[in-house]
Amino acid sequence: MQVTVKVFATFRRWMEPQAVIVIEDGATIADLLAVLTGRHPGFAGDLFSAPGVLKQYVNILLNGRNVYFLQGLSTPLHEGDLVALFPPAGGG
Amino acid sequence: MDGYAGKIVYADLGGGTVEIRPTPDDLKRQYLGGRGFGAHIVADRVDPTLDPLSPESVFVLASCPLTGTGIPLGSRYEVSAKSPLNGTLASANSGGTFGWKIKKAGFDAAVISGRSEKPVYLFLNEGSAELRDASPYWGRDVYETTASLLADIGDPKAKVACIGPAGEKQSLLACIMNDDDRAAGRNGFGAVMGSKNLKAFVAAGSLPIGVADQERLNAVKERIREKIQKNGICEALTKYGTSVLVNIVNENGILPTRNFQSGHFAGAENISGERIAETILKKNTGCYACIVKCSRVCEVDGEVHEGPEYEPVWAFGADIGNDDIKLVTKAAWECNRLGLDAIGTPGAIACAMELREKGFIDEGPQFGEVDGLLDLVRQIGYREGFGAELADGSYRFAERHGHPELSMSVKKQDLPAYDPRGLQGHGLSYATSVRGGDHVYGYMIAPEVLGSPEKLDPYVSEGKAGWVKIFQDLTAAIDASGMCLFTSFALDAKDYADLTAATTGMAMDADTLLRTGERIWNLQKVFNIGAGYTRADDTLPERLLAEPLQDLAPKGRVWEPGRLLDEYYALRGWDAEGVPTPEKLKELGLM
Repeated sequence: MQVTVKVFATFRRWMEPQAVIVIEDGATIADLLAVLTGRHPGFAGDLFSAPGVLKQYVNILLNGRNVYFLQGLSTPLHEGDLVALFPPAGGG
Repeated sequence: MDGYAGKIVYADLGGGTVEIRPTPDDLKRQYLGGRGFGAHIVADRVDPTLDPLSPESVFVLASCPLTGTGIPLGSRYEVSAKSPLNGTLASANSGGTFGWKIKKAGFDAAVISGRSEKPVYLFLNEGSAELRDASPYWGRDVYETTASLLADIGDPKAKVACIGPAGEKQSLLACIMNDDDRAAGRNGFGAVMGSKNLKAFVAAGSLPIGVADQERLNAVKERIREKIQKNGICEALTKYGTSVLVNIVNENGILPTRNFQSGHFAGAENISGERIAETILKKNTGCYACIVKCSRVCEVDGEVHEGPEYEPVWAFGADIGNDDIKLVTKAAWECNRLGLDAIGTPGAIACAMELREKGFIDEGPQFGEVDGLLDLVRQIGYREGFGAELADGSYRFAERHGHPELSMSVKKQDLPAYDPRGLQGHGLSYATSVRGGDHVYGYMIAPEVLGSPEKLDPYVSEGKAGWVKIFQDLTAAIDASGMCLFTSFALDAKDYADLTAATTGMAMDADTLLRTGERIWNLQKVFNIGAGYTRADDTLPERLLAEPLQDLAPKGRVWEPGRLLDEYYALRGWDAEGVPTPEKLKELGLM
């Protein structure tokens, strides 16, 4: 299946702002991140504080919903999903 | 030595006199400074039913004990008065260097009453205070006024806080600007100064700012410096500025677009912090003693100024359907030059655009047509042409044309850059803010969008009333202390308490600090009730209660008040109508 990945702010040092990723059916967010970090090895250091543990303030949205409130990194993906990856960021 | 300058100047503009008195100890103990000083002094002297633009209105400009002490991000000052925009006892916060300099000039605060017959400015210099003729500056914009005053005073190190034409015309969107591009933006305080013929404050001098326990403070400073430097959110602010929020908020489906008609803007990337960094950004900069330096210095068509920030980027961008970052930036600078609230001004424009779109008016700006935008902002600043219709904000404009429901405001002040239909907690913050539509008095975006201090589900109401109260109380205390609110991404109540204790010598722990904030909040609330506000006003525009969002995950959502207000009032120790009980007021020393 195909999903669209968008990355923002400092995550753009690892990959283009938007990309369509082909991934096996039934893949999860964790699987997607494995694909991305496989292609861009330094990216893992920005995403994870430990294997399988996202860094504090890193936010991943699935179609606008933070996956923390779904099934976390085990959240399943579907054809046409939009995944947005944000490093720690904020303002006022 | 305790962080304070030790003096307050009381200026009676009607009589043309100034009086200098020591800063009272019990004022420091109960209210700390800044917003606390302002709330107490205004509540003490102003009847809640007073016309805010009458000579009897009292206006307080107050610095804070931690400001200018060298504590990282200790730079803020506050202005307070009964707001002419909505009658609340409100305050507005600003950074830059003015808050530091007024203490170097020898003063913790200036209390202004009366109305001058002729334009004046208040000159504070090395412990003395003088009202001086401001006629040469009346009619000039903020940049011209600042440059001229500094040149005429002959002290390039002096600092200026002033109004522009908007304040002189008593526009209810008028604000106070310092350091050219820093704004005490909301609630129309520029009009209060204008109504008094007070053009500016000038601060000069080099008096020392001492602290109670320098050794203890040094240790606390090191601790908080490390926390701030290691904090990922602060790091992003350095690199991208506050407009890093554009894409974050848009991808969450809650970037208010075209007067809050939707929560997703197709052109968001074009006005994002990332795009600013790639195009118009020259460098970053910061307020006094800042180690984050989130401010942008940008260049557009040969003009260079500080800004733009997230709120005007959103408001002159998504909210009016414009994705031209250069035009957004120039519009934000125009607001600075004229001394206009850069949220309320585009908010009024967006409201007019929707009224035109729906055929309720047949002249005025339109979504998607931005050629006349800068001219319209100027018209608003000078109360000319169609701009005169908008100069008192979206609510009065929409009401005059029979559609007040199309003003996206709470208590007549325009809502900022987050759609509460996707944010149960932040929506409660909007509804209950004691100064009307506002995002900083209780920034629930931190937990509900950014995950700071922890991730809270924005679609859930449970527990949110308690979080909103804590954010509101802590923010009020921070606003009294002088610290930049962005430190709250990295610091906790104990950190602020330790900073305050070491600086002032006062006994202070987290509970006492929060109680100080709660005292300030309740003081503002009691005043507002006296001004006529009731539970019915703690709500959101009808659209946000009844018209669901259409894009991404928040699709189908509205803000659901449910039991939120009842829970919030109960937690605050207020009755079912939202009136602080005698028990609560006695507990806080307000009765």
